Amino acid sequence: MIFSLDLLTEALLFGVLLGCFYAAVSIGLSVSFGLLDVPHVAHPAVMVLGSYCTYLLASQGLDPIVAGVVLMPAFFVLGILIYRFYYESFEKRGTDAGVRGLAFFFGVAFIIEIGLILAFGVDQRSVSAAYIGSSWALGEYRIPYRMLVAFGVALVLTFGLTVYLSKTFTGRAIKAVAQDEPALRLMGANPVRIKQWAFGIATGVSALAGAMLIIVNPVEPALDRLYIGRTFCVVVLAGLGSMTGTLAAGLILGIAESIVLMFLGASWAPAVAFGLLLIALGVRPQGLFGR
Amino acid sequence: MALELSVKGIEAGYAAVRALHGVSLDIGQGETVALLGTNGNGKSTLMKCVMGMVRPTKGSVTLAIDGKTHDLTRLSTEEIVNLGVAMVPEGRRLFPKLTVEENLLLGAFRPLARTEISRNLAFCFEAFPVLAERRRQLAGSMSGGQQQMLAIARALMSAPKLLLVDEPSVGLAPILVSHTITKIKELKDQYGLTVLMAEQNFHQAIRIADRGYIIVHGEIVFEGDVKALEQNELVRSYYLGTG
Repeated sequence: MIFSLDLLTEALLFGVLLGCFYAAVSIGLSVSFGLLDVPHVAHPAVMVLGSYCTYLLASQGLDPIVAGVVLMPAFFVLGILIYRFYYESFEKRGTDAGVRGLAFFFGVAFIIEIGLILAFGVDQRSVSAAYIGSSWALGEYRIPYRMLVAFGVALVLTFGLTVYLSKTFTGRAIKAVAQDEPALRLMGANPVRIKQWAFGIATGVSALAGAMLIIVNPVEPALDRLYIGRTFCVVVLAGLGSMTGTLAAGLILGIAESIVLMFLGASWAPAVAFGLLLIALGVRPQGLFGR
Repeated sequence: MALELSVKGIEAGYAAVRALHGVSLDIGQGETVALLGTNGNGKSTLMKCVMGMVRPTKGSVTLAIDGKTHDLTRLSTEEIVNLGVAMVPEGRRLFPKLTVEENLLLGAFRPLARTEISRNLAFCFEAFPVLAERRRQLAGSMSGGQQQMLAIARALMSAPKLLLVDEPSVGLAPILVSHTITKIKELKDQYGLTVLMAEQNFHQAIRIADRGYIIVHGEIVFEGDVKALEQNELVRSYYLGTG
């Protein structure tokens, strides 16, 4: 192991960008799992679906970021449909909705994965754009432009969701719904509709995150498996339901992985997420920004 | 602006347990009506029937408001709230992990209340200065008395015409009970509210009530104005244990 300040700076710099990337892929889950208590393990799979949809639109000549934005309304509707199905068949029936819901979302993840394999095969797919493959020279460091895309998407989503959740009536109801549903009814809001809407938003956000995913790296149908641990780690570390916490937790995971990658080697990197998750659960179960 | 809540012969319960047996009750515009009785006699169930949270198996619950009559047994809780009925539920049911201010703003969720939100918020902060001081604090971290204030203020944020308060005294120190009850009276007068209050603290409740109903084992056993209630020693000693 060679240690130098240069390498550390590089690891930190790349860690920040990677961290933003992790925050952006996790923020949808921060709404669906963090705020709504829905055990949405299919979140990364939905995102990979977003990547493939971006790939299709990009192959028609659309810019991948624009494609991600265009896909958001369609994914919003998809989210509403998924939640509706989950609600009618599991949540409505009460008590062990959590466990059965987990099975349901694993099922959804597999269906998406297999659907993608049938449609696209198992080969990696990627998109091309002017900002993919080139980088920005900052002193002696080179910052890939595609990572700056991740940086931007993370900031926009974090800021947008934070404002939406704190400044709008529906946003505040989304924050309240998992805490006390009957009480929310007494405020004049229908908890099921609120959750459905919030799940739609979480899924819509995943379309943009999926576009970012394929901009940053080529994707393949089973890619979601790599992100289940990471996204849940970020959401739990953040403190369930905190958007700024998600950004902070993403940064922590990104920097930690980057340093481990640089100094201990790639084989240790996947262990970082679960290590952080265990530390978070042991030391501060309410998370960094948990209430 | 006439308002009349009319409950006629309702029966309701949970699974095999019947909590209400043919209960009738009327509240007119501007009245404060106390629903008296000890724990487990059906006060909360009756309130939940009004709010559409429990469906009566028999009888009717109607609300006449501005010349229109609404059958509350056919409306959802949200629709009933939208008519201008608010309830301070038993146990307060605040959103503990949201701030005081967020709780209050959620109280103004119904479209009609949104237009008056800044005025109502200012009013709540004026009525309960402690809430203004603690507006950024999490609701769950406040004391019981403060939480009760917040629960009442949150209900007022919906700019209700009819306010239901379920056991405001539960879990509060005696001095706070008296303070809370007085506050309900003040707010009622300022807002021109109609109030139905379920309470087991007889003395406190009749301080502000115009009329009262005594409910025992799911049946109304006595109804009358405050004088009649106070003079009815038998009712007081037997059912309320305060004689």
